[in-house]
Amino acid sequence: MVLDPAHGGTDSGARGTGGIRESEVVLEFATQVRRALELQGFQVVQTRQDNENPSFDDRSAKANAQRGAIFISLHVSSTGSPGTVRVYVNSELPTLANASGLIPWERAQAPFLGLSRKLGDQVQTLLAQSFKGSPGTAQAASIRQLRTTAAPAIAVEISSVSVDNRANLDRMAAGVAEAIARGATAFKPSYVVAVTGAGAAQ
Amino acid sequence: MAVVVAAIYFPVLRRRLQKASNAQQQSEEQARRELTQALAMSPSEPRVRAKLFWASDADDGTLLPVTAELPLSSDPVLRSKQVLNTLLAGPVDPELRTLPPDAVLLAFYLLPDGTGIADFSEALATSIPSGIQSEQMAVDSIVKTLEANVPQVGRLKILIHGQEVETLAGHLDLTGTFTVNTKPVPAQPKPAPAVVAAPAQAPPDGKKLVETPAKLTPGTTPGKLAQPEHRP
Repeated sequence: MVLDPAHGGTDSGARGTGGIRESEVVLEFATQVRRALELQGFQVVQTRQDNENPSFDDRSAKANAQRGAIFISLHVSSTGSPGTVRVYVNSELPTLANASGLIPWERAQAPFLGLSRKLGDQVQTLLAQSFKGSPGTAQAASIRQLRTTAAPAIAVEISSVSVDNRANLDRMAAGVAEAIARGATAFKPSYVVAVTGAGAAQ
Repeated sequence: MAVVVAAIYFPVLRRRLQKASNAQQQSEEQARRELTQALAMSPSEPRVRAKLFWASDADDGTLLPVTAELPLSSDPVLRSKQVLNTLLAGPVDPELRTLPPDAVLLAFYLLPDGTGIADFSEALATSIPSGIQSEQMAVDSIVKTLEANVPQVGRLKILIHGQEVETLAGHLDLTGTFTVNTKPVPAQPKPAPAVVAAPAQAPPDGKKLVETPAKLTPGTTPGKLAQPEHRP
Protein backbone atom coordinates (compact mmCIF):
# COMPACT_ATOMS: atom_id res chain seq x y z
CA MET A 1 0.00 0.00 0.00
CA VAL A 2 1.51 3.29 -1.05
CA LEU A 3 0.12 6.32 0.73
CA ASP A 4 0.78 9.65 -0.95
CA PRO A 5 0.28 12.85 1.09
CA ALA A 6 0.15 15.28 -1.81
CA HIS A 7 2.36 18.37 -2.15
CA GLY A 8 4.94 19.31 0.50
CA GLY A 9 8.00 21.51 0.79
CA THR A 10 7.55 24.78 -1.06
CA ASP A 11 4.34 23.45 -2.59
CA SER A 12 1.73 23.89 0.12
CA GLY A 13 -1.14 22.97 -2.21
CA ALA A 14 -4.49 24.53 -1.40
CA ARG A 15 -4.41 27.30 1.17
CA GLY A 16 -7.30 28.56 3.27
CA THR A 17 -7.59 32.15 4.48
CA GLY A 18 -7.24 30.84 8.02
CA GLY A 19 -3.73 29.66 7.21
CA ILE A 20 -4.68 26.02 6.75
CA ARG A 21 -2.35 24.36 4.27
CA GLU A 22 -3.18 21.27 2.28
CA SER A 23 0.37 19.89 2.50
CA GLU A 24 0.30 19.94 6.32
CA VAL A 25 -3.21 18.59 6.70
CA VAL A 26 -2.67 15.61 4.41
CA LEU A 27 0.46 14.63 6.31
CA GLU A 28 -1.53 14.55 9.53
CA PHE A 29 -4.37 12.65 7.90
CA ALA A 30 -1.81 10.19 6.54
CA THR A 31 -0.82 9.19 10.07
CA GLN A 32 -4.34 8.08 10.85
CA VAL A 33 -4.90 6.46 7.48
CA ARG A 34 -1.67 4.56 7.85
CA ARG A 35 -2.64 3.25 11.27
CA ALA A 36 -6.06 2.12 10.03
CA LEU A 37 -4.47 0.33 7.05
CA GLU A 38 -1.87 -1.39 9.19
CA LEU A 39 -4.61 -2.62 11.49
CA GLN A 40 -6.15 -4.30 8.45
CA GLY A 41 -2.86 -6.02 7.71
CA PHE A 42 -1.54 -3.76 4.97
CA GLN A 43 2.13 -2.91 4.73
CA VAL A 44 2.21 0.82 4.23
CA VAL A 45 4.87 2.89 2.48
CA GLN A 46 4.53 6.68 2.35
CA THR A 47 5.75 8.80 -0.55
CA ARG A 48 6.84 11.35 2.03
CA GLN A 49 7.09 11.45 5.82
CA ASP A 50 8.02 15.07 6.31
CA ASN A 51 7.91 18.33 4.50
CA GLU A 52 9.68 17.14 1.35
CA ASN A 53 8.13 17.41 -2.08
CA PRO A 54 9.02 14.42 -4.25
CA SER A 55 8.11 14.77 -7.92
CA PHE A 56 5.02 13.15 -9.41
CA ASP A 57 7.21 10.49 -11.01
CA ASP A 58 9.11 9.74 -7.80
CA ARG A 59 5.83 9.18 -5.98
CA SER A 60 4.47 6.93 -8.73
CA ALA A 61 7.77 5.05 -8.69
CA LYS A 62 7.15 3.90 -5.14
CA ALA A 63 4.14 1.96 -6.37
CA ASN A 64 5.58 1.04 -9.77
CA ALA A 65 8.62 -0.58 -8.18
CA GLN A 66 6.48 -3.15 -6.40
CA ARG A 67 4.20 -5.83 -7.70
CA GLY A 68 0.71 -5.82 -6.23
CA ALA A 69 0.86 -2.31 -4.80
CA ILE A 70 -2.18 -0.08 -4.31
CA PHE A 71 -1.73 3.69 -4.52
CA ILE A 72 -3.77 6.20 -2.52
CA SER A 73 -3.12 9.92 -2.86
CA LEU A 74 -4.47 12.27 -0.18
CA HIS A 75 -5.63 15.82 -0.97
CA VAL A 76 -7.55 18.65 0.64
CA SER A 77 -9.36 21.03 -1.67
CA SER A 78 -10.05 24.76 -1.67
CA THR A 79 -13.63 24.19 -2.73
CA GLY A 80 -16.55 21.87 -2.16
CA SER A 81 -19.04 21.52 0.67
CA PRO A 82 -17.05 21.32 3.90
CA GLY A 83 -17.37 17.89 5.42
CA THR A 84 -17.55 16.00 2.14
CA VAL A 85 -14.98 13.72 0.57
CA ARG A 86 -14.55 12.76 -3.08
CA VAL A 87 -12.66 9.88 -4.63
CA TYR A 88 -11.15 10.30 -8.09
CA VAL A 89 -9.75 7.79 -10.54
CA ASN A 90 -7.91 8.80 -13.69
CA SER A 91 -9.84 9.49 -16.87
CA GLU A 92 -9.59 7.11 -19.82
CA LEU A 93 -6.23 7.42 -21.50
CA PRO A 94 -6.22 7.46 -25.30
CA THR A 95 -5.25 4.07 -26.69
CA LEU A 96 -1.88 3.71 -28.36
CA ALA A 97 -1.67 2.53 -31.94
CA ASN A 98 0.95 -0.17 -31.22
CA ALA A 99 0.54 -2.08 -27.98
CA SER A 100 3.87 -3.81 -27.61
CA GLY A 101 3.31 -5.27 -24.16
CA LEU A 102 5.53 -2.73 -22.49
CA ILE A 103 3.65 0.02 -20.72
CA PRO A 104 5.14 3.45 -21.31
CA TRP A 105 5.67 5.29 -18.05
CA GLU A 106 3.67 8.23 -19.36
CA ARG A 107 0.49 6.16 -19.38
CA ALA A 108 1.32 3.56 -16.76
CA GLN A 109 -2.16 3.79 -15.25
CA ALA A 110 -3.94 2.69 -18.45
CA PRO A 111 -4.15 -1.09 -17.80
CA PHE A 112 -5.24 -0.49 -14.20
CA LEU A 113 -8.18 1.81 -14.80
CA GLY A 114 -10.76 -0.94 -14.29
CA LEU A 115 -9.24 -1.94 -10.96
CA SER A 116 -8.82 1.68 -9.91
CA ARG A 117 -12.50 2.24 -10.57
CA LYS A 118 -13.40 -0.78 -8.42
CA LEU A 119 -11.23 0.43 -5.56
CA GLY A 120 -12.49 3.98 -5.95
CA ASP A 121 -16.14 2.98 -5.81
CA GLN A 122 -15.55 0.80 -2.72
CA VAL A 123 -13.93 3.66 -0.85
CA GLN A 124 -16.41 6.30 -2.04
CA THR A 125 -19.40 4.20 -0.94
CA LEU A 126 -17.98 4.01 2.58
CA LEU A 127 -17.10 7.72 2.60
CA ALA A 128 -20.64 8.61 1.57
CA GLN A 129 -21.92 6.80 4.67
CA SER A 130 -19.77 8.83 7.05
CA PHE A 131 -19.77 12.15 5.22
CA LYS A 132 -23.22 13.26 4.13
CA GLY A 133 -23.34 15.05 0.84
CA SER A 134 -20.41 13.16 -0.61
CA PRO A 135 -20.96 11.47 -3.96
CA GLY A 136 -21.92 7.79 -4.07
CA THR A 137 -19.39 6.67 -6.66
CA ALA A 138 -15.88 7.67 -7.65
CA GLN A 139 -15.41 10.30 -10.38
CA ALA A 140 -12.91 10.42 -13.21
CA ALA A 141 -10.55 13.31 -13.85
CA SER A 142 -7.20 13.69 -15.58
CA ILE A 143 -5.01 13.62 -12.53
CA ARG A 144 -1.30 13.92 -13.12
CA GLN A 145 -0.28 11.84 -10.11
CA LEU A 146 -2.44 8.91 -11.14
CA ARG A 147 -1.48 8.80 -14.82
CA THR A 148 2.05 7.53 -14.25
CA THR A 149 1.10 5.03 -11.54
CA ALA A 150 1.14 1.37 -12.59
CA ALA A 151 -1.19 0.11 -9.87
CA PRO A 152 -4.83 0.49 -8.84
CA ALA A 153 -4.70 4.16 -7.89
CA ILE A 154 -7.13 6.69 -6.43
CA ALA A 155 -6.99 10.25 -5.19
CA VAL A 156 -9.05 11.08 -2.11
CA GLU A 157 -9.91 14.77 -1.83
CA ILE A 158 -11.32 16.16 1.41
CA SER A 159 -13.25 19.44 1.61
CA SER A 160 -11.81 21.79 2.54
CA VAL A 161 -9.06 24.18 3.63
CA SER A 162 -11.60 26.96 3.48
CA VAL A 163 -13.23 26.06 6.80
CA ASP A 164 -13.22 28.61 9.63
CA ASN A 165 -12.46 26.05 12.29
CA ARG A 166 -9.48 23.78 11.68
CA ALA A 167 -10.85 21.32 14.24
CA ASN A 168 -13.79 20.51 11.95
CA LEU A 169 -11.37 19.44 9.28
CA ASP A 170 -9.17 17.43 11.63
CA ARG A 171 -12.22 15.67 12.99
CA MET A 172 -12.77 14.09 9.58
CA ALA A 173 -9.51 12.14 9.70
CA ALA A 174 -10.88 9.16 11.62
CA GLY A 175 -13.78 8.63 9.21
CA VAL A 176 -11.56 9.05 6.17
CA ALA A 177 -9.01 6.59 7.55
CA GLU A 178 -11.66 4.00 8.28
CA ALA A 179 -13.31 4.30 4.88
CA ILE A 180 -9.99 3.93 3.07
CA ALA A 181 -8.90 0.95 5.18
CA ARG A 182 -12.21 -0.88 4.86
CA GLY A 183 -12.50 -0.04 1.17
CA ALA A 184 -9.01 -1.32 0.43
CA THR A 185 -9.72 -4.49 2.38
CA ALA A 186 -12.93 -5.10 0.44
CA PHE A 187 -11.06 -4.45 -2.80
CA LYS A 188 -8.02 -6.65 -2.13
CA PRO A 189 -9.52 -10.02 -3.18
CA SER A 190 -10.36 -8.75 -6.68
CA TYR A 191 -6.84 -7.41 -7.14
CA VAL A 192 -4.93 -10.45 -5.97
CA VAL A 193 -6.94 -12.66 -8.31
CA ALA A 194 -6.30 -10.31 -11.27
CA VAL A 195 -2.54 -10.22 -10.69
CA THR A 196 -2.07 -13.97 -10.50
CA GLY A 197 -4.70 -14.81 -13.15
CA ALA A 198 -3.35 -12.50 -15.87
CA GLY A 199 0.27 -13.49 -15.31
CA ALA A 200 0.87 -9.78 -14.82
CA ALA A 201 2.07 -8.56 -18.19
CA GLN A 202 3.80 -5.57 -16.60
CA MET B 1 -29.18 62.26 18.92
CA ALA B 2 -26.40 63.18 16.53
CA VAL B 3 -24.56 60.07 17.64
CA VAL B 4 -27.54 57.90 16.74
CA VAL B 5 -27.85 59.51 13.34
CA ALA B 6 -24.13 59.07 12.73
CA ALA B 7 -24.28 55.46 13.80
CA ILE B 8 -26.97 54.80 11.24
CA TYR B 9 -25.50 56.95 8.49
CA PHE B 10 -21.84 55.88 8.57
CA PRO B 11 -22.38 52.20 7.73
CA VAL B 12 -24.55 53.32 4.83
CA LEU B 13 -21.84 55.69 3.68
CA ARG B 14 -19.20 53.00 4.03
CA ARG B 15 -21.29 50.60 1.98
CA ARG B 16 -21.72 53.19 -0.74
CA LEU B 17 -17.99 53.89 -0.86
CA GLN B 18 -17.25 50.21 -1.02
CA LYS B 19 -19.72 49.70 -3.81
CA ALA B 20 -18.31 52.64 -5.73
CA SER B 21 -14.78 51.33 -5.46
CA ASN B 22 -15.92 47.86 -6.45
CA ALA B 23 -17.79 49.29 -9.38
CA GLN B 24 -14.70 51.17 -10.48
CA GLN B 25 -12.56 48.06 -10.17
CA GLN B 26 -15.09 46.02 -12.06
CA SER B 27 -15.46 48.56 -14.78
CA GLU B 28 -11.69 48.67 -15.30
CA GLU B 29 -11.66 44.92 -15.51
CA GLN B 30 -14.65 45.04 -17.76
CA ALA B 31 -13.01 47.57 -20.06
CA ARG B 32 -9.96 45.38 -20.39
CA ARG B 33 -12.04 42.34 -21.11
CA GLU B 34 -14.24 44.16 -23.53
CA LEU B 35 -11.17 45.25 -25.43
CA THR B 36 -9.97 41.71 -25.91
CA GLN B 37 -13.45 40.43 -26.55
CA ALA B 38 -14.65 43.16 -28.85
CA LEU B 39 -12.85 41.80 -31.87
CA ALA B 40 -14.27 38.35 -31.29
CA MET B 41 -17.99 39.21 -31.29
CA SER B 42 -19.72 39.42 -34.65
CA PRO B 43 -22.79 41.64 -34.28
CA SER B 44 -23.61 41.15 -37.95
CA GLU B 45 -24.03 37.40 -37.51
CA PRO B 46 -27.45 36.01 -36.68
CA ARG B 47 -27.98 35.16 -33.05
CA VAL B 48 -27.91 31.48 -32.25
CA ARG B 49 -28.66 29.59 -29.12
CA ALA B 50 -25.34 28.99 -27.44
CA LYS B 51 -24.72 26.84 -24.38
CA LEU B 52 -22.31 27.92 -21.69
CA PHE B 53 -21.30 25.59 -18.88
CA TRP B 54 -20.90 27.09 -15.45
CA ALA B 55 -21.17 25.65 -11.95
CA SER B 56 -24.53 24.36 -10.87
CA ASP B 57 -25.90 26.14 -7.81
CA ALA B 58 -26.27 22.76 -6.13
CA ASP B 59 -22.64 23.26 -5.06
CA ASP B 60 -21.91 19.63 -5.66
CA GLY B 61 -19.17 20.02 -8.22
CA THR B 62 -21.43 19.62 -11.22
CA LEU B 63 -21.82 21.93 -14.20
CA LEU B 64 -25.06 23.37 -15.50
CA PRO B 65 -25.52 24.56 -19.07
CA VAL B 66 -26.95 28.04 -19.51
CA THR B 67 -28.47 28.93 -22.87
CA ALA B 68 -27.82 32.39 -24.27
CA GLU B 69 -28.54 33.92 -27.63
CA LEU B 70 -25.28 35.09 -29.09
CA PRO B 71 -24.25 36.28 -32.53
CA LEU B 72 -21.67 33.60 -33.20
CA SER B 73 -19.47 33.37 -36.23
CA SER B 74 -19.73 30.31 -38.44
CA ASP B 75 -15.94 30.18 -38.54
CA PRO B 76 -14.94 27.61 -35.92
CA VAL B 77 -11.90 29.51 -34.69
CA LEU B 78 -13.78 32.75 -34.16
CA ARG B 79 -16.71 30.87 -32.73
CA SER B 80 -14.46 29.10 -30.23
CA LYS B 81 -13.01 32.41 -29.12
CA GLN B 82 -16.45 33.92 -28.77
CA VAL B 83 -17.85 31.17 -26.58
CA LEU B 84 -14.70 30.92 -24.48
CA ASN B 85 -14.66 34.67 -23.94
CA THR B 86 -18.29 34.50 -22.89
CA LEU B 87 -17.39 31.69 -20.52
CA LEU B 88 -14.60 33.81 -19.08
CA ALA B 89 -16.95 36.76 -18.68
CA GLY B 90 -18.85 34.61 -16.26
CA PRO B 91 -22.46 33.93 -15.29
CA VAL B 92 -24.84 36.42 -13.71
CA ASP B 93 -24.03 34.95 -10.30
CA PRO B 94 -20.26 35.28 -9.85
CA GLU B 95 -20.28 32.44 -7.31
CA LEU B 96 -20.98 30.09 -10.18
CA ARG B 97 -17.86 30.99 -12.12
CA THR B 98 -15.65 28.14 -13.19
CA LEU B 99 -12.81 30.30 -14.51
CA PRO B 100 -11.07 33.11 -12.58
CA PRO B 101 -12.22 36.65 -13.49
CA ASP B 102 -8.71 37.81 -14.35
CA ALA B 103 -7.98 35.02 -16.83
CA VAL B 104 -7.80 35.96 -20.50
CA LEU B 105 -7.89 33.85 -23.66
CA LEU B 106 -4.72 34.86 -25.46
CA ALA B 107 -5.21 32.79 -28.59
CA PHE B 108 -7.11 29.91 -30.12
CA TYR B 109 -5.98 27.76 -33.03
CA LEU B 110 -7.62 24.87 -34.82
CA LEU B 111 -5.47 22.31 -36.57
CA PRO B 112 -6.75 20.51 -39.67
CA ASP B 113 -7.16 17.28 -37.69
CA GLY B 114 -9.66 18.96 -35.36
CA THR B 115 -7.25 19.59 -32.50
CA GLY B 116 -8.01 22.91 -30.88
CA ILE B 117 -5.37 24.77 -28.93
CA ALA B 118 -6.52 27.28 -26.33
CA ASP B 119 -3.82 29.53 -24.93
CA PHE B 120 -4.79 31.22 -21.68
CA SER B 121 -3.00 33.83 -19.63
CA GLU B 122 -1.14 32.78 -16.48
CA ALA B 123 -4.03 33.94 -14.36
CA LEU B 124 -5.94 30.82 -15.33
CA ALA B 125 -3.32 28.75 -13.52
CA THR B 126 -2.49 31.08 -10.64
CA SER B 127 -5.91 32.45 -9.72
CA ILE B 128 -7.82 29.21 -9.82
CA PRO B 129 -8.36 27.66 -6.37
CA SER B 130 -6.02 24.69 -6.15
CA GLY B 131 -7.75 21.33 -5.89
CA ILE B 132 -8.91 18.46 -8.04
CA GLN B 133 -12.55 19.54 -7.99
CA SER B 134 -12.00 23.19 -8.86
CA GLU B 135 -9.39 22.45 -11.53
CA GLN B 136 -11.51 19.74 -13.06
CA MET B 137 -14.59 21.95 -13.18
CA ALA B 138 -12.56 24.64 -14.90
CA VAL B 139 -11.32 22.32 -17.63
CA ASP B 140 -14.67 20.58 -17.94
CA SER B 141 -16.50 23.87 -18.41
CA ILE B 142 -14.11 24.80 -21.22
CA VAL B 143 -14.39 21.40 -22.91
CA LYS B 144 -18.17 21.12 -22.60
CA THR B 145 -18.71 24.67 -23.82
CA LEU B 146 -16.65 23.95 -26.93
CA GLU B 147 -18.38 20.62 -27.44
CA ALA B 148 -21.81 22.24 -27.32
CA ASN B 149 -21.02 25.10 -29.70
CA VAL B 150 -18.14 24.19 -32.01
CA PRO B 151 -18.59 20.80 -33.67
CA GLN B 152 -15.30 21.16 -35.56
CA VAL B 153 -13.23 20.80 -32.41
CA GLY B 154 -12.39 17.14 -31.79
CA ARG B 155 -9.97 17.52 -28.91
CA LEU B 156 -8.44 20.37 -26.96
CA LYS B 157 -4.97 21.22 -25.77
CA ILE B 158 -4.70 23.89 -23.10
CA LEU B 159 -1.60 26.05 -22.93
CA ILE B 160 -0.70 28.60 -20.32
CA HIS B 161 0.95 31.66 -21.80
CA GLY B 162 2.05 29.72 -24.85
CA GLN B 163 3.59 26.90 -22.84
CA GLU B 164 2.60 23.37 -22.15
CA VAL B 165 2.37 22.94 -18.38
CA GLU B 166 2.26 19.77 -16.33
CA THR B 167 -0.80 20.68 -14.23
CA LEU B 168 -3.30 23.50 -14.13
CA ALA B 169 -2.80 24.35 -10.46
CA GLY B 170 -1.10 21.29 -9.02
CA HIS B 171 -3.60 18.54 -9.79
CA LEU B 172 -5.20 18.44 -13.19
CA ASP B 173 -3.00 17.01 -15.94
CA LEU B 174 -2.59 19.36 -18.90
CA THR B 175 0.04 17.35 -20.75
CA GLY B 176 -2.45 15.56 -22.97
CA THR B 177 -5.52 16.61 -24.90
CA PHE B 178 -9.11 16.54 -23.76
CA THR B 179 -11.74 14.91 -25.96
CA VAL B 180 -14.31 17.48 -27.09
CA ASN B 181 -16.35 15.99 -29.92
CA THR B 182 -15.81 12.31 -30.68
CA LYS B 183 -16.88 12.83 -34.32
CA PRO B 184 -15.72 16.32 -35.19
CA VAL B 185 -17.07 17.99 -38.28
CA PRO B 186 -14.18 18.65 -40.66
CA ALA B 187 -13.23 22.32 -40.64
CA GLN B 188 -13.33 24.10 -44.00
CA PRO B 189 -9.91 23.95 -45.61
CA LYS B 190 -8.31 27.36 -45.15
CA PRO B 191 -4.99 28.93 -46.08
CA ALA B 192 -2.43 28.51 -43.30
CA PRO B 193 -3.72 30.60 -40.40
CA ALA B 194 -1.60 33.46 -39.17
CA VAL B 195 -0.37 32.41 -35.77
CA VAL B 196 -1.13 35.58 -33.88
CA ALA B 197 -3.12 36.36 -30.77
CA ALA B 198 -6.69 37.57 -31.20
CA PRO B 199 -6.17 41.31 -30.61
CA ALA B 200 -3.84 41.54 -33.60
CA GLN B 201 -6.50 40.47 -36.09
CA ALA B 202 -8.29 43.22 -37.99
CA PRO B 203 -12.01 43.44 -37.19
CA PRO B 204 -14.18 42.46 -40.15
CA ASP B 205 -15.40 45.99 -40.82
CA GLY B 206 -11.89 47.38 -41.00
CA LYS B 207 -12.20 49.77 -38.05
CA LYS B 208 -9.02 50.47 -36.18
CA LEU B 209 -8.39 48.97 -32.78
CA VAL B 210 -8.72 52.25 -30.92
CA GLU B 211 -12.16 52.94 -32.32
CA THR B 212 -13.63 49.68 -31.16
CA PRO B 213 -14.30 50.61 -27.52
CA ALA B 214 -16.73 53.26 -28.72
CA LYS B 215 -19.02 50.49 -29.93
CA LEU B 216 -19.20 48.98 -26.49
CA THR B 217 -22.31 50.22 -24.80
CA PRO B 218 -24.44 47.74 -22.85
CA GLY B 219 -27.00 47.60 -25.64
CA THR B 220 -24.49 46.52 -28.25
CA THR B 221 -22.47 43.96 -26.37
CA PRO B 222 -24.47 40.83 -26.84
CA GLY B 223 -23.41 37.93 -24.77
CA LYS B 224 -22.24 39.90 -21.75
CA LEU B 225 -24.12 37.99 -19.15
CA ALA B 226 -22.67 39.82 -16.17
CA GLN B 227 -23.20 43.58 -15.95
CA PRO B 228 -21.87 44.23 -12.46
CA GLU B 229 -22.28 47.98 -12.48
CA HIS B 230 -25.97 47.70 -13.14
CA ARG B 231 -26.71 45.41 -10.28
CA PRO B 232 -28.63 46.95 -7.41
